[in-house]
Amino acid sequence: MRCRASWQYLNGTGRLWWWSLFLVILGFSFRISQVDVKSLIGGLYQSWALGREMLPPDFSRWKQVLTLAAETVAMGFWGTILGILISVPLGFLAARNTAKNYLIYQLAKTLVTLLRSIPDVIYAFFFVTAFGLGPQAGVAALTLATVGLLGKFYAEAVESIDEKPVEALAAAGSRGLSVIRHAIVPQVLPLFMGYNLYLLDHNIRVALALGVVGAGGLGVELFTQMRGFHYQKAAAILVIILVIITAIDRVSAYLRNRIIKGGFLHPGNRLPDAALLAAIGVLTLISIYFMPVDFKEMAAGAPRIWEFLKGMFPPDFSRISVYLKLMLETVGMGISGTFLAMALAIPLGVLAARNVSHNPVIYNLAKEITNFLRAIPDLVFALIFVVAVGLGPFAGVLALGLNTAGFLGKFYAEAIENVDPKPVEAVEATGARFLQRIGHAIFPQVLPLFNSYNLYILDRNIRYSTIMGLVGAGGIGFELVMTSRMFEYRQMAAMLLVILTTILLVDWLSAYLRKRVV
Amino acid sequence: MVRVTNLRKHFNGHKVLAGINFRVRKGEAVALIGPSGSGKTTLIRTINGFVIPDAGTIAVGGQEIKYRNPESLRQARKKIGMIYQLFNLVERTSVQVNVMAGALGRLDRGLSLLSSTLGFFTRQEREKARELLGFVGLEDKVRERVDRLSGGQKQRVAIARALMQEPELLLADEPIANLDPKASKKIMELLLRINQEKKITLITVLHHLDSVRDHFGRVIALKEGAICFDAATRTLNDHRVQDIYSIEEEFACVAAQAGSI
Repeated sequence: MRCRASWQYLNGTGRLWWWSLFLVILGFSFRISQVDVKSLIGGLYQSWALGREMLPPDFSRWKQVLTLAAETVAMGFWGTILGILISVPLGFLAARNTAKNYLIYQLAKTLVTLLRSIPDVIYAFFFVTAFGLGPQAGVAALTLATVGLLGKFYAEAVESIDEKPVEALAAAGSRGLSVIRHAIVPQVLPLFMGYNLYLLDHNIRVALALGVVGAGGLGVELFTQMRGFHYQKAAAILVIILVIITAIDRVSAYLRNRIIKGGFLHPGNRLPDAALLAAIGVLTLISIYFMPVDFKEMAAGAPRIWEFLKGMFPPDFSRISVYLKLMLETVGMGISGTFLAMALAIPLGVLAARNVSHNPVIYNLAKEITNFLRAIPDLVFALIFVVAVGLGPFAGVLALGLNTAGFLGKFYAEAIENVDPKPVEAVEATGARFLQRIGHAIFPQVLPLFNSYNLYILDRNIRYSTIMGLVGAGGIGFELVMTSRMFEYRQMAAMLLVILTTILLVDWLSAYLRKRVV
Repeated sequence: MVRVTNLRKHFNGHKVLAGINFRVRKGEAVALIGPSGSGKTTLIRTINGFVIPDAGTIAVGGQEIKYRNPESLRQARKKIGMIYQLFNLVERTSVQVNVMAGALGRLDRGLSLLSSTLGFFTRQEREKARELLGFVGLEDKVRERVDRLSGGQKQRVAIARALMQEPELLLADEPIANLDPKASKKIMELLLRINQEKKITLITVLHHLDSVRDHFGRVIALKEGAICFDAATRTLNDHRVQDIYSIEEEFACVAAQAGSI
């Protein structure tokens, strides 16, 4: 079945057809998201000019900035904790082998899928509108986004367990929760811990960006400084964000590796492991000290959300044609951004692959550039580019493109590092040059993986292009902010429905394409 | 054609090549035999520059191989074809595209570098690839994907790729170790035919002594990184074979170098 539909078996005409379709869609996307050669060159120059104005970073407000950084870390921490608390029962309910009732299983699964498909920043925006500005909205948003991810990870982990211990316990007369406690939890615990750490890392990164829409933390300060033309102060915040993200990224990668491989706190590793545990302890203390939420207040806010939701009903579709037009622009931004990311990621990925890039300076440079691009959240990039190249979709395309070029560059490099070296040597043995070896021996091997990564990033970029407008970087997000400012909640509801429908449609389409192309 | 002088190589203190000397004349067909770990593969890989020797020199076609100069190494590789045990083809692409890779060394300047990198070749090169596929007996598989071929067919594609280079020397590292007896026989016949019809010098690492006796006029045997037999195949009697492959009698290796030097 898969073979019949696969790209590899298309004949010349078939390929030509797909290529032309691809080019038409791309050209159209460039047009509606205002990407052309002139704006690209202009954008490069304007970004350069802004970069020069940001130097040197001004750290004079370091006390406030560090306090806000602690608050941001605390937001990520509590969002993760609350998310875990909700995800544990939900994960078991959304796993086929532990959910007893089919209806509940389907409901849990659908809920998790829905939660996952909506970008975290949309939640933040929603809670800022409902709760008001501040870190509470951020924590609530992170919680929902965490449940969307963890619920799926947990359910998959539970579904992939070895059933034999479960049967053994059931045969011995255990039932229900006791089986879960004694036969399933021991099996999934290391995986769960790994996912939790990943989410903690992810949430702290997201928390840094959420402030840009007013949901507390360092992002608020960045937004204020950028908007107040204090570029050197903004640069100082960017440096601190980068330091935090890099540190957390390294520590969490090391810890996850340890937990999955085992050998945690074993002789020989005791000292570094203990130091890491101490670091986590400090993180916990910071998070408790800089408690961003008052749970009592949050609970009291729950009825407000209900009121708010009632105010959104029934959705007002009177301006649907405007929304659809904006949605088209949004999707165009996502496609253009993905193309930009691919164009940047191919050289980056090749140069950051150890087996191809033999010059250590170039290799490390390419690797650090990808890490940097990946570390800066796209909303932060958007904020910068809105200042550099002006309001509009072009800033959004640049933001999405640069951030996901970091992701793609890393994926590409890993794919290239895993190619079979034998054909590469054979092609080298014919006297082929560097570029020819890449084109003939490496590229054909990585193409299916690249395609699948590209589709994943396209899907993600279309989802995240909806939030670019929240900082003025084009698309439907801007209209979303405007209607909420005018308290037109019923129109806002209609817009959210348009966004949700598009996202689900793109999700479905990308799953379908992935099956066909890969 | 090939002149190897005093070649030495060790990996992590372990001596792999301990002073190798031999010459191969143009158009000769030589079988390289010896027990596992005796340095056969290392020797082959030194000739096309994938292993850098500690001492000694190799000259191919009168030109010494300069290991430290990438451009000169590349020029040397252009005239050396290489056949591998596991074929080393790009599995996901077509037979024709794999054969075209043999032309890459020639298409190394300006526009032809760009177009060949992107996979575009001139009609002339494509015709040549098709002609060579006809020569190895795969004219009906030109557009087939490599991963759908049998082992013997894959090795034919690899041979066509090597011929696409228009090589002066063909190296083969256990070309039939992964093939069934019937395919092995055909591949060996093909290699010898190339040697005789196209006058391409052939050096083959082989484990299969029957094949050696059937096809090759000259045998070089390696043992513990040194040449312990280098003579006409007909002088390779059972006693000698035992010497070459024996593990107990470490010093039984007699330097019976005849004819070639």
